[in-house]
This record gives sequence, structure tokens and C-alpha cells, in this order.
Amino acid sequence: MPAMSMDAPARRGRILLVGLVLVHLGVISHQVDGGGGVSLLQRAILTAVSPVQRGVEAVVGGAAEAWRGYAFHRGTYEENRRLEKRLRELEAELQARAPRAQEVERLRELLQLRKALPLDTIAAQVIGRDGVPWFRTLTLDRGESDGVLLDAPVLSSTGVVGRVFAVGPHAARVQVLLDRDSGAGVLLERSHIAGVVSGQVSAPATGDADLLLKYVPDRADVAVGDLVVTSGLDRVYPKGLVVGRVRFVGKGSGLFRDIRVEPSARFDRLEEVLVVRGTEAPPSTPHSVTQ
Amino acid sequence: MTRAFWFALAILGAVLVQTGLGYLGPGPGLYVDPFLLIVVYAALAGGEIRGMLAGAAAGWVQDVLFGGRVLGLSALSKLVIGYAAGAAGRRFLVTTSGARALAVLAAAMADGILVPWLASVFAIEVTPVGPLVFVGRACTNALLGGLLFATVERRLQGRRS
Repeated sequence: MPAMSMDAPARRGRILLVGLVLVHLGVISHQVDGGGGVSLLQRAILTAVSPVQRGVEAVVGGAAEAWRGYAFHRGTYEENRRLEKRLRELEAELQARAPRAQEVERLRELLQLRKALPLDTIAAQVIGRDGVPWFRTLTLDRGESDGVLLDAPVLSSTGVVGRVFAVGPHAARVQVLLDRDSGAGVLLERSHIAGVVSGQVSAPATGDADLLLKYVPDRADVAVGDLVVTSGLDRVYPKGLVVGRVRFVGKGSGLFRDIRVEPSARFDRLEEVLVVRGTEAPPSTPHSVTQ
Repeated sequence: MTRAFWFALAILGAVLVQTGLGYLGPGPGLYVDPFLLIVVYAALAGGEIRGMLAGAAAGWVQDVLFGGRVLGLSALSKLVIGYAAGAAGRRFLVTTSGARALAVLAAAMADGILVPWLASVFAIEVTPVGPLVFVGRACTNALLGGLLFATVERRLQGRRS
């Protein structure tokens, strides 16, 4: 009898485990089959937690700013005692302003890009990134209420970043081009050869990695340094946006060449991006944004 | 009710930590998995059922906020890990900091194998994780888990006495 009462919770646990595993397998299969996933749950969690992420971003940013201020004041005090106050003050001030100047520069570039693009875009702040090692994603502080739609292209001042794959009222998640499961229709600007870029070739811990340019025939005219731009054929990215430059051209194993592309976007330094709103009608003429 | 409250608070804390790590750059967030620590702790303290429920809940939050396009991979992985850790906690004496750190090490390695395997089963492409990141992630989590669990237990003991 005691043995039976010991077994009952274990059996219940096993039944629950099997049940939950089956439910999860069903949910994953449903999404993989293109059923659209569990957007309600996704929306609910994104809605609930994005303000927290935004808050953390603000707190950490504020703390970093305060620390910089502390370091600056301490430096000034020390320099006061060494009769180089004025010179050091200016140097420290310059240093303290450098991050702000960089931010202004980034925003200026983004504004230039926004003006140059024949697309309706909205600027967004990156409030989260790369939580697990298997996926390359970002979380933005803009969502449906700002006009961000599913599959909206996301751009930086230097190149294509990725596309929105989940959207909540005030936040959106972006699958960056470096993600192995991503893809974008592209063409080589010089020779107009089409292909698809996807995923990262190597897997370093940092965001630096090449893109793989697939489906380019073995005899195609490709050279290192060729500019790679979006083709618009995937109906996600408008035509002519800069993706990167060819870094390596190899023989490949089959009918296609082994081509690596160095992405133009600096994924490890992204802080502000542009999200394209309303991509139903991509521009008909090629338009390179940051050549 | 109290347990659910503390669990929700722990999940919120994990979201904060993961978001904060992401703010530091693309590297740090890959080595620390606060959600895994919560799952292992819940499993060792509460058994298989609590472990797997905690795993499913924590995994879903992680999937939605930090995962890829297809949701449920981390949830399923952590569900299984929660069950296994709970079962191990019931059968073996996992009460010392070292044993708990070892449990986290095993859980992190299992997670590192399960997620890519599940992704391959569903034909989802994932970024391959190199051996350095794999081992580094497991060791970092084990170290943090050992320290965290010891701190939590000390506090709980202090409150009880």
C-alpha cells in the first residue's frame, strides 16, 4: 500500500509530462506548418513585459550616464590639484560629450536615410536583444499602435537589419539577417545576379558574422567587394536596400557558388533603427540607401 | 498562492536580468540563462510536477521575449528539464551547493542539446553554438546557480529560525 501511494504522484507526473510535451509539440508543429502561431499569447506577454524592458533600458542607461558623470567629476577634481584644471576639464568634457555626439551622429544618419527613402518609416529604439544563443533577435519600443506591421523591414543607417516577426501594441520583435532561420531576396548590384542571403556562416559569440549568399550559379560573375542589395522579389524587403558586400567567393560543392557577404548593418552596435511601415507597394525603381 | 507569487517575481527578475545583459552587448546574454536557474531551483525544491510547470511557464516567457520566430522550443526543453531535475531531486540528495551547481550544469548542457535538436526535428534553422559558448554557458550558469541557490537557502533558513 505505501508503495502504491508513492507511485501515484509519480504516475500523475509522467502523465502530465506526456500531455504537456504533446501540447508543445502540437503548438510548435502548428507554427511550423504556417498556421500563424500563438499570436494572442505572444501579444499578451509582449504587452505585459515590454514596459519592463523599456524601464530596464532607461535605468541601465541612466546608471551608465551617472557613472560617466561620477568619473568625469572625479577626474576634474584630481586635475584641479595638479594645476592642469582647465586643460583636463576640456578633455574630460570632450570625453563626456563623445557618446552624446555619437548618438547625435547616429540619429543624423538615420534621419538622412529616412529622408532619402521613398518609404514611410518610423524610428525605433532597441530595448532588448539576443536572449538565447540559437536565435538572433531584437526587441523594439514600437508596435502596432505606431503602425508597425508583421514582416515590416527594419533598417539601420548602414544597411538592412531584418524583419518584424512578432508585434504587440507597443513593442515588436525583429529577426535579424544574421539569424540562421532568416532570408532575404537579393541581387548583386554590378551584375544583377539574384540570390538569397540567410543566416550566419560561423557562430561567434559576438554579433559579427557573415551572411551566406545562396543559389548563385557556379559560372556567375561575382567578385569580392560586389555590393549586395535587396531584390524586392521576396515581397518583404523593398528593392534596392543595401545588405552588404561580397567578402568571399568560393567554388561551392554543387551547382552553386559558396559566397559570403559581410553585412553592412553593425548588428552589435544597433541602438536606433528605422521600421518601414506599409510595405505592400515597394518602390518600383532600385534605390540604394547607403552606398 | 505565495509560491506562485514568488515564482512570478522570479520570472520578472529573470526578464530584467536578461534584458540588462542584452543592453551590455550581444555577448553576455548568451552565457547566462536566468530562466533555467529558476526552473532548476523550482524542480529541486518542489519535485517533477512543479519543475515541469515552472519549466513550461519560464520557457514560454523566454520564447516570446528572447526566442526565435517559432515559439515553444525553449518551453518544451525547459519542461523536460524541469521534470528531469525534479525527478533527480526526489531520488538523489541534491542539497549542497556543489550538488545543485552540478544539477544546473547538467540542465544547461541538456538545454544546449535539446533546443537545437528540437529545432532540427521541426526543420527550424538555428545558429550553431560553438563548444566554447556551450561549455561557457553551462559553467557560468552552474556557478551562478550554486551561488544563488545558497543565498536563497540561507535566507529561507534564517527566516525559519
